[in-house]
Amino acid sequence: MSEQMVEKSREPAPGDARYPGEPSTQEIIARDRVPAPDWVRSESYEFLGDEDISIDRYTDPEFAQKEFDNLWTRTWQFACREEIIPEVGDYYVYDIGRHSFIIARVAEDEVRAYYNACLHRGTMLRAPGTDGCANEFKCSFHGWTWNLDGSLKQALCDWDFPHVKAEQFALPEARVELLAGFVFINMDRNAPSLEEYLGAEFLSHISQWGLEDRYTYCHVSKSLPANWKLSMAAFMEAYHVLDTHPQVAPSNADANSQYDFYGEHVDRFISSLGVVSPHLKGQYTEQDIIDQFTLGDSSVAGDVPRKLGEGETARQRMADIIREAFETQSNTDLSGVSDSELLDCFSYTLFPNTFLFPGISLPMVYRFRPDPDNHRRTIYEVFFLRPVPKDGERPDPAETVYLNDDQSFTEAEGMDPGFGAILDQDTENLILQQAGLEASAKQGITLGNYQEIRIRHFEQAVDKYVEGAA
Amino acid sequence: MSEEFVRFCETSEIPSGAKKHAKINGTWVLVCNVKGRLLAVSAICSHQEKPLFTGRVRNCKISCPVHGARFDLETGEALDLPATKPIATYAVRVVGDWVEVKL
Ligand code: FES
Ligand SMILES: [Fe+2]
Repeated sequence: MSEQMVEKSREPAPGDARYPGEPSTQEIIARDRVPAPDWVRSESYEFLGDEDISIDRYTDPEFAQKEFDNLWTRTWQFACREEIIPEVGDYYVYDIGRHSFIIARVAEDEVRAYYNACLHRGTMLRAPGTDGCANEFKCSFHGWTWNLDGSLKQALCDWDFPHVKAEQFALPEARVELLAGFVFINMDRNAPSLEEYLGAEFLSHISQWGLEDRYTYCHVSKSLPANWKLSMAAFMEAYHVLDTHPQVAPSNADANSQYDFYGEHVDRFISSLGVVSPHLKGQYTEQDIIDQFTLGDSSVAGDVPRKLGEGETARQRMADIIREAFETQSNTDLSGVSDSELLDCFSYTLFPNTFLFPGISLPMVYRFRPDPDNHRRTIYEVFFLRPVPKDGERPDPAETVYLNDDQSFTEAEGMDPGFGAILDQDTENLILQQAGLEASAKQGITLGNYQEIRIRHFEQAVDKYVEGAA
Repeated sequence: MSEEFVRFCETSEIPSGAKKHAKINGTWVLVCNVKGRLLAVSAICSHQEKPLFTGRVRNCKISCPVHGARFDLETGEALDLPATKPIATYAVRVVGDWVEVKL
């Protein structure tokens, strides 16, 4: 064997390398005082190839059209939270591309999704993006009316419509499934069930989060100047933290975050907080790390003193602070909740367009939808979910705050200023990235084998649907 | 000024979260109790003149049950299609056990 070959054989297989000489996420979590549950402690990564990802998916309007035809029509999508439609007759209008659905609670335990168009001459029965309460759905043009259950109630001057048979004029429906307080819809009659689509492993995770017992205390919507997939990818890795979020890196194990995927439609990362970035090793004391810690909602524990005692670590102290503050705020007992769940950033993607963050201090949901009029723009929404107070009523879900292009996320009511600044940093990159992809001499983007696996995993699912193979 | 206020109903008829409509001097008025705050608006939707009073109130907005238009109860502003015009708002006050409105 030549020396060169021996050298080669010591190199890890593609995807196996991790930040050299640094603890893994699992090792960081294993040192915590309150141990983490199995869904945190598991790993599920595989190498999926290292070829470039084609750029046309972000820049070509024809690709966007194929997505509208083959992807959005066949995938399970988060349409709304159940809390928006708590009572029979409550509805919410979910719009995706040119499609629009009235998501209506038609019985205490039944939600339906009606195609939002009159069967007379097509007028939308409800305006896009609105919610309300109805006993029936009446068209504003000529007054055709449907019952809550979708059956035709009345066509004005029925003597003129002997060819309109009520049994053929029920409102068409998409499929609906409910999970953890979320309403999911799918236009495809032949799609697998939501359970099959998300897979047993992920369902065992979400079933432990209690997201059904949370309410939306802040909901922000903003149009982003980039393709929806590019916008999503900006949130799929912690690789960008060092450069994009310099204020976060001192208290975030960015380059030793953990990446996993489960089947075709779910992936995640775990990014540990309260520990310094491997890039900045030796440059910060434990006191610096805790001083630098950004909370997702600083109204909860923002002003708790953070002075560390002798031998105390920033991570443990911060876990204790968050546990105590959230116990007081939500009147719950969190003593059994692990330090990791309290502290760390858990980011899950549910294909195609939803992120769930089940952590306690970072309790967000993101949704990304393509702008139907412009493949270079995305309708981005952030929801913050708080536990429903144990001994109180469920608060009304927050109204949506719509931000203009030039407004900062920090301007939205209910948004934590530190967290809003992070979202500004994330989304500012997108303007130049979209433009750069269109200016590039290179026809693909290049991805890291490990830290950018979620992007590859996601784009592979996109390809399968767009090519009609999924 | 105070003479212009007219009795609408007894305060006990509109507890928090409730609402009541009545015709006052020929005008349909809707009074809503939003978490202890009384707000009075027209009980008729500005879009196609449909009754608004069975609409759902949430976050200080009322949505019309007929076509889904939504209005801000404080300002009367139309927030959603199909409505494009505001509804009237009226001053409210409580005198003793009575809710009074000024048209
Ligand atoms: S278009 Fe709906 S009733 Fe005519
Ligand atoms: Fe970021």
